[in-house]
Amino acid sequence: MSESNNPPDAANPPTEAAAERASLDRKTRKAFQVLILQRGRNPGVKGWEMRRYLGKDYKKILEVLSNDLKSLGLEVHLVPGAEGTDDSTRFLLRFRDPPTLSEAETAGFRIDDLAVLAATIALVNSKQGRISRKELESFLKGKFPRWRIDYSVDRYIKRGYLDLDDKELVRIGWRTRAEIDERSLMTLILAQGTKTDAKK
Amino acid sequence: MPAPEDKQRDKKLEDILRLIELCRAVSSSSVNPFEVDIKEKLLVLKKHLPDWNVIDVMLKDSEAMQQLVAIVKLQDQWIKHRASALFIDPLLLELKITLITKDELAESFAKCWHPIAQLDQLTARGLEKAFVYWRELVPFSERFKDQFGNYGQQTGLIGLEELESLSIFTKEEFESRLNAINKELVQRSDGKEIDYRDFIKGKDPEETALRGYLIAFVVTEGRATIRTDPLTEQIFISVIQGKPGDETKSVAIAVR
Repeated sequence: MSESNNPPDAANPPTEAAAERASLDRKTRKAFQVLILQRGRNPGVKGWEMRRYLGKDYKKILEVLSNDLKSLGLEVHLVPGAEGTDDSTRFLLRFRDPPTLSEAETAGFRIDDLAVLAATIALVNSKQGRISRKELESFLKGKFPRWRIDYSVDRYIKRGYLDLDDKELVRIGWRTRAEIDERSLMTLILAQGTKTDAKK
Repeated sequence: MPAPEDKQRDKKLEDILRLIELCRAVSSSSVNPFEVDIKEKLLVLKKHLPDWNVIDVMLKDSEAMQQLVAIVKLQDQWIKHRASALFIDPLLLELKITLITKDELAESFAKCWHPIAQLDQLTARGLEKAFVYWRELVPFSERFKDQFGNYGQQTGLIGLEELESLSIFTKEEFESRLNAINKELVQRSDGKEIDYRDFIKGKDPEETALRGYLIAFVVTEGRATIRTDPLTEQIFISVIQGKPGDETKSVAIAVR
């Protein structure tokens, strides 16, 4: 660190590799700042913005940053955009490892709320990615009180975990795609019953 | 009496309207889009097309065509989803969700959750929104004048009917909860007085409020009684054995 602060020695000009390293460090720092600060309404930065901030090698820089963030328990995650192009891909910082249930609770999520969301995501995925709100509510009613369902579903739509279209069809929201490993969730839900049976 | 040609034309138009309705019903639910036989429906449209000479009917015909295109798009998504790793038989999943506990569901969720890390800050857009909101915010004294006169909304009581209309309770649910809490009171008190606050305490403030609300009905119905110790201000609740006495008093208890 101290070496980099000193002015370059005229007799020993910095090598090309060192200059490249310094440039990479600078760009990695810039990438972190861009990702951590909220810009628009939704978190994350789109591919085209990243290219503007970091240049055309932005993906390589983000890989380096993701590696550097390992020690902090964070990672750079990419969410493919609707068009499926690099420009529409959204990049964001997220926890590398999932929090514990008690940590989730301290962040303001109650167990009931998480259970509603887990059941909804699994159900929507099993129904080809869409389910009418009425059908969803009628299914959840068997497990949760009605007021809790209304409250939770509205809250998750607002936060971007779920999406409600004009035909009142509930779909998976952008935040779920960004934060939740849906495939693991489905597998874990199916395995939960099996584990309980095995314990018995 | 309508001419046979008119009758036939009405029947054809009905076919188109029914087709539009069918497509709409499929698109607005999670029904399998392959339930719609596209080839057959296209043949119906093709057969009727030469008979149309009124612009309104032609528009209906093109709307039916548009709806069929939407169904084809849904069929494409359906195949892609089935081929993806996310596909699990909905019936099996529904059964699993019904069988496992809320804790297990929440635990499954937490295990595959990677929350986004971000610094929340005031953006120029946010500031603008706040400014517009503040500028257009009617002073508090004026806010409810239209609805409630000059004094705003007074605090008051909310009845069971109103709670039902707000979908907080259904009649059946309320009755069954009332009976459940009464049964719990009988079991826990075992003929003695027990601490009221201990009894209504739930997992969280919402549940505590709900239990307090329900127990107020149990007391009002004369199935239980509440006594406050004047020295310690501790509140006790006990089950009334036999017929309730005539002396009744209304008390307000703050639920924390």
